[in-house]
Amino acid sequence: MQNFGSNNDLDEKGHVMTDQPKIKVKFEPKPKPSTCPICTVEYYQQFFDIEQRDVYMRIRCSLLSWKPEFYQCVGKNPDLWGPLWISTTIIFILFAGGNLSRFLLEEDKRHFKYEYNYMYVAVLIVYAMAFIIPIILGVIMKYILKSELGVFEIVCMYGYSLSVYMFVLVLCIIPYNEAQWFFLMCGLANSTIFLLVNLWDFMKKNKQTTLIAVPIISFNLALILCFKFYFFRLIYAVDD
Amino acid sequence: MTDNHPFGSGMFQGQAKFVDYAHMNQQEVQVNTLDEPVLDTLLRDINMILYKLSYVIIPRMKETQGRKLRNWDLWGPLLLSLLLAMTLGINSNQSSDTIFGTIFIIMWGGSAVITVNAKLLGGQVSFFQSVCVLGYCVFPINVAAVVITFLQSYFGFFLRLIIVGVAFLWSTFSSLSFMSSMMNEEKKVISVYPIFLFYMFLSWFCIFI
Repeated sequence: MQNFGSNNDLDEKGHVMTDQPKIKVKFEPKPKPSTCPICTVEYYQQFFDIEQRDVYMRIRCSLLSWKPEFYQCVGKNPDLWGPLWISTTIIFILFAGGNLSRFLLEEDKRHFKYEYNYMYVAVLIVYAMAFIIPIILGVIMKYILKSELGVFEIVCMYGYSLSVYMFVLVLCIIPYNEAQWFFLMCGLANSTIFLLVNLWDFMKKNKQTTLIAVPIISFNLALILCFKFYFFRLIYAVDD
Repeated sequence: MTDNHPFGSGMFQGQAKFVDYAHMNQQEVQVNTLDEPVLDTLLRDINMILYKLSYVIIPRMKETQGRKLRNWDLWGPLLLSLLLAMTLGINSNQSSDTIFGTIFIIMWGGSAVITVNAKLLGGQVSFFQSVCVLGYCVFPINVAAVVITFLQSYFGFFLRLIIVGVAFLWSTFSSLSFMSSMMNEEKKVISVYPIFLFYMFLSWFCIFI
């Protein structure tokens, strides 16, 4: 059998190297018909056009919540990476930390029953808070109150406002009542102040302060009440 | 020669020694493997899986080594995910079917989400190749789960934590070399962080068996 190629190794592009003169066939991807622009990966890449340095800066902006610097941080480039992965981290911490907190309190550690429902409830609550509520608020602000902020910027802002809970909920694993309330209140204050400070200009311009501030504060309060009364409800019983 | 290539497609082994991919047509390729005994096919696939596992067991930080896993297959990840889901399901004292389904969904859904995340961040990564690598790198967590299952009464909580922690770090480092070679320098952390979260999620299930 004739030896068609003495070297059947692959070169760095994965083509078989032969002794015959190379005829380079370049496969150009066919340009996709524009019938479904939403279906392509390229459409969604605009929402993830971010580097790790940007993510650090934005999380830092949200932790130092009293400074209204979020728009300078974000610029013209809001992203979805932050909201998505911050909320997923919080779900993991709720699931793992909630069960760990119960485990620490259990006297009979061999018969500890793992609560799998924590994950489903966490997914529901956190993704609703990170995506559904800001989308509703953004739509109201943009189309009814005629703000220049888009829905996407509001979603980005809400996502980064949850970043303080990543640290607060880890501390809430400590099963003492006062400690948990203290940390949750700090988280609530930080998150709410961040949202209100950054929306302040819009609120003053449109004189719609209560219409926007009240839902923001009430949803954040509802969130930490859920955290406290569902995920971290067991505490050391104090003997009177 | 394909016999020497570590991840050469198994289809050509046992054939004529000099194989030219460019000149062999599809028809010839199909006929060769249909005639052989079933045991040969199974053994070849098992060898392929074991060969890839050997690349996972020794985490390689040098990026060139990661490229050997280019020939993806989904048999390995399927077997590993079934094994993990069954191990954790057998041990949970309630709702084994829920835990089985949960692990399965987390593993496959998680791999898909991580891959899509890497693609959206601009990485030059092929979807199934990435799912394949993430699936194979679950192997250390599998080992930890099986070890904890069989030696349950001898392990206290802290020893379990250490075993699972080691397995988690091993899994993460194994997949790091592959994934970070696909991304730009400025986006490495944000594409690797979901992998870290994914393996932490899977490892956490092993601690409380």
